[in-house]
Formats: sequence, C-alpha cells, structure tokens
Amino acid sequence: MLRFLSIRLLRAALTIALVVTFAFVVLRMSGDPALLIMSADAPPEAIAAFRKAWGLDEPLWNQYLSYFGAILHGDLGQSMRDGRPAIELVAERIPATLALTVPALILKIGIGIPAGIFAALHRNSFLDRAVMVTAVAGFTVPSFVLGLLLVLVFAVQLGWLPSGGQEGWRHAILPIITMGAGGAAILARFTRSAMLEVLGQPYIRTASAKGVSWRAVVRHHALPNAAIPTVTIVGFMVGSLLAGAVVVESVFSWPGVGRLLVVAVANRDLAVVQCILLLVAATMVTANIIVDLLYGFLDPRLRSGVKA
Amino acid sequence: MTSPLLRAEGLVRRYSSRQGVFGRVVPVRALDGVSLELRKGETLGLVGESGCGKSTTGRLVLGLEAPDEGHVVFDGAPMPASNTPEWRRLRARMQMIHQDPLGALDRRLPIGVQIEEPLVIHGHGNRPARVASLLDEVGLRPEHAARYPHELSGGQRQRAVIARALATEPELIVADEPISALDVSIQAQVMNVLADAQARHGLALLFVSHDLRVVRQVSHRVAVMYLGRIVEEGEPDAVLRDPAHFYTRALVSAIPHPSRRDAKRIVLKGDPPSPAARPSGCAFHPRCSAAIPACAQQVPELKLRPDGRKVACHLAHGETAAALQRAA
Amino acid sequence: MSIALSPATPVATRKKRGGIPPMVAFALFWIFAMLVVAATVQWIAPYSYTALDLRARLQPPVFMGGTWTHILGTDELGRDVMSRLLYSIRLSLLIAFGATLIGAAFGTLLGFLAAHLRGFVEQVVLALADFQASMPFLILALSVLAFFGSSLTLLVCLLGLHGWERYARISRGLAISASAQDYAGAVKQLGASPWRVYGRHVLPNIASTLIVSMTLAFPEIILLESGLSFLGLGVQPPETSLGNMVGYGREYLTRAPWILLAPASVIVLTTLSVSLLGDWLRDRLDPTLR
Repeated sequence: MLRFLSIRLLRAALTIALVVTFAFVVLRMSGDPALLIMSADAPPEAIAAFRKAWGLDEPLWNQYLSYFGAILHGDLGQSMRDGRPAIELVAERIPATLALTVPALILKIGIGIPAGIFAALHRNSFLDRAVMVTAVAGFTVPSFVLGLLLVLVFAVQLGWLPSGGQEGWRHAILPIITMGAGGAAILARFTRSAMLEVLGQPYIRTASAKGVSWRAVVRHHALPNAAIPTVTIVGFMVGSLLAGAVVVESVFSWPGVGRLLVVAVANRDLAVVQCILLLVAATMVTANIIVDLLYGFLDPRLRSGVKA
Repeated sequence: MTSPLLRAEGLVRRYSSRQGVFGRVVPVRALDGVSLELRKGETLGLVGESGCGKSTTGRLVLGLEAPDEGHVVFDGAPMPASNTPEWRRLRARMQMIHQDPLGALDRRLPIGVQIEEPLVIHGHGNRPARVASLLDEVGLRPEHAARYPHELSGGQRQRAVIARALATEPELIVADEPISALDVSIQAQVMNVLADAQARHGLALLFVSHDLRVVRQVSHRVAVMYLGRIVEEGEPDAVLRDPAHFYTRALVSAIPHPSRRDAKRIVLKGDPPSPAARPSGCAFHPRCSAAIPACAQQVPELKLRPDGRKVACHLAHGETAAALQRAA
Repeated sequence: MSIALSPATPVATRKKRGGIPPMVAFALFWIFAMLVVAATVQWIAPYSYTALDLRARLQPPVFMGGTWTHILGTDELGRDVMSRLLYSIRLSLLIAFGATLIGAAFGTLLGFLAAHLRGFVEQVVLALADFQASMPFLILALSVLAFFGSSLTLLVCLLGLHGWERYARISRGLAISASAQDYAGAVKQLGASPWRVYGRHVLPNIASTLIVSMTLAFPEIILLESGLSFLGLGVQPPETSLGNMVGYGREYLTRAPWILLAPASVIVLTTLSVSLLGDWLRDRLDPTLR
C-alpha cells in the first residue's frame, strides 16, 4: 500500500510540475513577465526588484528553477488590479464557489447514480428511455444556455426566483441546478452503461442461476463492480468542479473563483490566473488520489496486487 | 566451393516476459546459438514445432531484428542496423514471404499497386511491364492487378505476395510457413510457384515450416530446430530415411506413411517445451526415450558426422555414443 | 475526458442496422442545412451582420408579433438577428472544423511518432496525454487566452489542442499493432521509409477510426468555442459567433429573449445532430471505439 501511495503522490507532483511548467512556458512566450505580472504603473524600482527577485537576468534554466522555487514558497505574485497578493484574492472567493459546487455535486451524485442504476435494472422501460433522452440533452445543451433558459422561465416569466447575485439561499438555487443537471445526466448515462456491462457478465448469471435472489445479486455483485468505473467519473467531476463554475458563475453573476478567473483573463491579470490554474491542478490531483485510494477499497484484486 | 551468400553465426535472441502485472521479469532465450549458411541457388528447410525459434531465425537473418549475440553476414558484409538507409536499400536484395497473405497485404490497395510498391521504393523503371511479367510468373491473370486482397482467394493472395517479393529480383528469400495458412488443395500449387521461382532465379531460399514433408520436397538441406537450437542438419532424404537425433526420429515417425502401421510410431512424452523453462543439458532430454545421465548435464554440440550429417546428440556420434550408452 | 463526453450508445437505437434511423436522418438533414448556410451565407443573408438600423431596435420576430422585414427580429443596435445568426453559424462551424482538423493532425502525428520511436518519446507523449486528459481543458484554454489575448488564429489553434490526446492514443495503439506483424511490417521489410509506411499504409487503414473520433470531438469543440465566446473571451466583435450572440443577448434576456434563443437553439441542435451522427457512425464503422 505504501508503494502504491508513493507512486500516486509522485504522479501528482509530476502533474503539478507540468502545470507550473506550462504556466512558465506560456508566461515567457507572451512577453516580459515583470511588466505583465506587475501593474503597469508600478515604480521602476519595483520592477527592477521584481526582476532581481525572480532572476530574470539569469539564464532561462535558472529562471525556471527559481520560478519553481518562488511558487513552492507560496509567492504567486500580486494582482495587477489592486496590488494585493493573488493568493488572498483567490482564497476569499473560494467559499462562494464551494456554496455552489458542493450542493451541485450532491445533486449530480444523488440523482445521476440512482437514475442510472434504475434505468439499467428496468431496461427499455419508459423511465429508462426518459433517463437516456435527458442524458443526451444534458450533454448537448451547454450550461450557459440551460442557465439562461432557467432564468427566463423561473425568474423572468414566473418571477419565483432571482436571476443573479448572491444575497441569500434563493439566489443559489438556479446556479446549483444549472451546474448539477448536466453532470447528473452524464453520470446517469455512464452508470447505466457500467451497470449493463456488469449485468451481462457470466458471474451475474451464475449467481442468479445458483438461486441467489435478484436483489442480493444486484446488491452484492452488480453494484460493487459497477461502482469502479463510476467512481472514476465522479472523481473527474470533483476535480473539474471549478471548471464548471467558470461558466455558471458568469451566467448568474456569482462572485466566486470562476467569475474571478473570467475577469482576470479579460484584464490579463496573470498572477491571479496562474494562482487559479494551480488551484485547479491541485483539486484535480487530490481528486485523482482519492479515486485511486477508493479503487483499493472497491477492487480487492488491485489491493492485493499492490501489496505483493 | 563458393563463399556462402548468407552466413549466420551463434545467433542468440532473448526476450523478456513479465509474469503477471507485478511479477518479475523472466528472460526467455528464444534462440540459443544458431549458426547456418546458405549459398546462392540453395534452399535450406528449417523445421520445428511452434515456439522453437524458427521464425525468429528467419527474422534475424533478414535483419528485421538484431541478435543479442552473434552476427549475420550477407554477401560478405555485416547486416546493417534495421531502419537505416543501407538496411532499406538492402531490402531490394532480400525479401520475406509471410504466413498469412491477407495480413501481409494492405487491404485498401489493389494488389497490382502493392506488387509495384517495391519497384517504386527502390526506384526501378518500366514498372507496368515488370508488374505484368511478375503476375504472369506467379500464375495470376493481368486483370487480377486491379483486385483488392479480399476479392482474391487465399492461394491467389499468396501468389501476389510472392510476386511482390520477387519484384526487385532479390537474391535471398525467407518464406515463413508460406503455405500453412492455405487450403490443402492449393498448397501444392503455391509450393510449385515458389520452387519454380527459386530455380529460375537461382534464389537462396530459407524455407521455414513445421512440416517435414513439405520441406523435403523443396529443400537441398534441412535443419531441425528444438528450443532455439539446431539439433540436426543434413540432406532431406537422408534425414527422413535415417534420422539421427531422437527428436527428429519422433518428427519423422509422426509422418503418416501408407506402408507402415502405427506400431513404430514414437509418441513424445512429457510437456511441450517452453523456452522460459529450458531444461539443463540437452533441452530434449526430459522427453527423450534414450536419455542417459550425461544428457541432463552436458549440452551436446552440433557436430559433423563422417556421413556429412550434423547432429547435436550425445548418442549419435558412433564410438563415443556407444561408450556412453554402455556406461549408462 | 472522453468517457464523460461520449458515453456508450443506447442499446435501444442499435436495433436497425440496415436503414438510417429517423433521428440520424434528421441529424444529417440539419448538418447539411448548416453546411449550406455556411457556404452560401453572403447570398442568403438578408442584411450584413454589422448593418445597424437604429430606428428598428429590439424588434420581435415574426411569430412574436414582428414584421417580415426582420424575420427573427433585431438586437439592441437594430441589427438583423437572422443575418447575424447565419454569419455566426459560418464562423462557429469554420472554427470548429479548423480546430478539429488541427487536433486530429497534431494528435495523429504525435501518436505515430510515439509508435515509431518508442522509448523516451513514447513515454513523454503518453505523459502529456495523461496531463491533457486530467486537466479541465476550459481552464487551460482560459489561461492561454489570459497570457496572449484573444485572436481568431490563436482561438482555432487553442481549440485544436482539445482532444489531441485521444487521436494520439488511438493512432499510437493502431500503429503499434499494425507494424508488429501485419501489412505495415510487410511494407517496412520491402524497404519503405517510415513516411511511406505511415502515410500511405497505416493512415488510410485507421482513417475510419480517426474520422469517427473527429465526429465525436466536433460537438465538444463547438460547445467550447461557444462557451469561451459567451464569456467574452472567444470570438471578438465585430465578428460574431453563436456563443458570442448568446453572450450579448443575455443583457436583453427580459426585453428581447429572441436575440439569445435563436443562437442557443442552433448550438443545441447542431451539437445534438453531430453527436447522433457520431454515435451512429461509431456503431457502424468501428464498434471497438467507446
């Protein structure tokens, strides 16, 4: 288990390193980082100090290493809009984003997985068809279209809910639904096909032929095996929560990290963008590690294989 | 005697095979010191069970794979490393015929184009006329040129593969089980096409097969392989009439014969061999009916007998053998 | 991640193997119509997409009480929604086509390189593919746009990077299996150069698989482009794309929902059609691809 964990951690570190490298390469390709990272009206001494601090007069390879070092020390630069450290700006937006993404994730899992299992167990029933059609729609309707349609119906036409802003829980309802719906549809479709695949396996037929009740077959054999691929997709969803928040927060003017990213990109506030990029990478990597650990619990073969 | 066109010395090829996903890596000696010579216009038949390394030998002498030990000399020059420009140029002088003609042909191109391809690659002129004469030589009609591989019969496909191999007038052809994927009824026809081409062009042909009878028809010499080594080599008729190695005896006795009842048939005992778990000494000793203690310890060398036969067996070399046998 | 975006095809639609299912027929019709629009927009659009008519601002479409002069109504500057929609279709399709082609070419090239050179290069390509698959593409795209600013060329190239890892994995796998024993190995031992082996033999043989993957990636790229343009970071005015129209129409959601509804429905119908077609092609041409 230790070896397994250390390999995973190594891979996680590699991913983060790749993201940092990506940021470095893109940063260097786009011009003088001192002028880009610092605000335009920064005093010349400050720019000179920045150049020295980040070693911009040194060879590129050294620059890369010291850039890495600075990031490891948590020095992610300052926002060029108000000069505050980028990491602070991002951190204060995180609660707002979590207020949307966590309920949305619960919605995805709470609706998507049961719907998928139900559809698989009642294949070709009316509900199965309905689940599938909704799932196709969930994939082809982009979240900004869905969000705006919900606003049009529930805020503009019916006037039940507010169309944007963040003044109370009622403001969060539409964004959460928008964020959760697409994911729930994808998850339902995926769970259904994972279940169908498992239900077609010989050991399921053997178990039911031996006289095990169908309910027990499903509970003890089908569900645990179908859970393995499903966990992967849920892990990916957890990791990409922030990406989903970008569009939805913009639709509903919700002051979270996603909205901050869009504004930062529009203003070319590179320090903030880079900070969010790392945050996303860290989320992704953490989610992957959790998924890998869950695999160990779900699949005894992997567990013993790793121990050996 | 002229110097041989092809000389291979002490070829060793190791593969590593992993046992299970996390298992340890086991080295497998697919070839364990194979030497052979082939002169212009000569056909050498290479016989053995599947997995004995005969196909690997074919790939190594063509330079498609590099040996781990030993070397291959073609026309007096060492084989260049694979995928280098010299190696590619050398392809015009040596060609291979695969077992499965459907797999060896590109299913998206008409066979005329594919027969022409080596001519294009090696920059030959007057290609349409050459393709026409090649088609004729292997017994295909001109209209077959426009057909796709799936539109031809198995025999016709193999004829097309032979035509492609002959296109650049090579001096050496390695035919790896060229007829074993074909219907029995057309095997002889394709065999004749190959034998005729060999005789007409004075090709050196390395004919790889598991079937001793087929090899006997076309070969000037035959070499029998067992677990990555040549165990016997000689004139095909002599080898079939009087096999010296006990493994060859078993192979010969397995050939159905109208005048002989199955009483004399030697049935091999024990497990089929695996190069991953190679027995000590003579690799054949666990299955050999005449094995003596020395067989489990000493590896028998491939030695020339007075009658011109080469055999790798402790018991097949006259006096010494008799002495060893008495001692046992 | 491909599994999330192209899950297995519903078994129910697989029943008829011979004919074209009605849904696919509709999809084909819709795609054809979109292509015709894209090709002929300068002749069929009633107005220029930048033509202002300040006296006729925010006019509703015909079926909401408008007039036939502006069939789909006008926007806040009096520009004809129908004309803008038609031009947007062309630009969005062009971007998606260009990006899909770039992605396929880049990914296939890297896949072939990995298959041909093996060893270190292969490991690097696979590591990059893993990285690409594990990072949300929208975020990567946004950061590149932040660093470089938005231009049409950059946008197409950037979107072209989406999904390259899928082509790379497919082409690497198929090329390795092809060169191991089959026709590619046979051609190689004829003395053919790698260019000839991959370009003339391997590529045509795996083309159908690649085309299916392209059909599956195409709607994702349309969605990405429209998402970026909706956020104001993709196609920049005065050019107009479908996402861009939705983005600007959002301001007038209460007073003039038609500005937004027309491009939104075109996005949904187009992605739906291409996905349906892609699923259908996958089942017919290449059932191994999931």
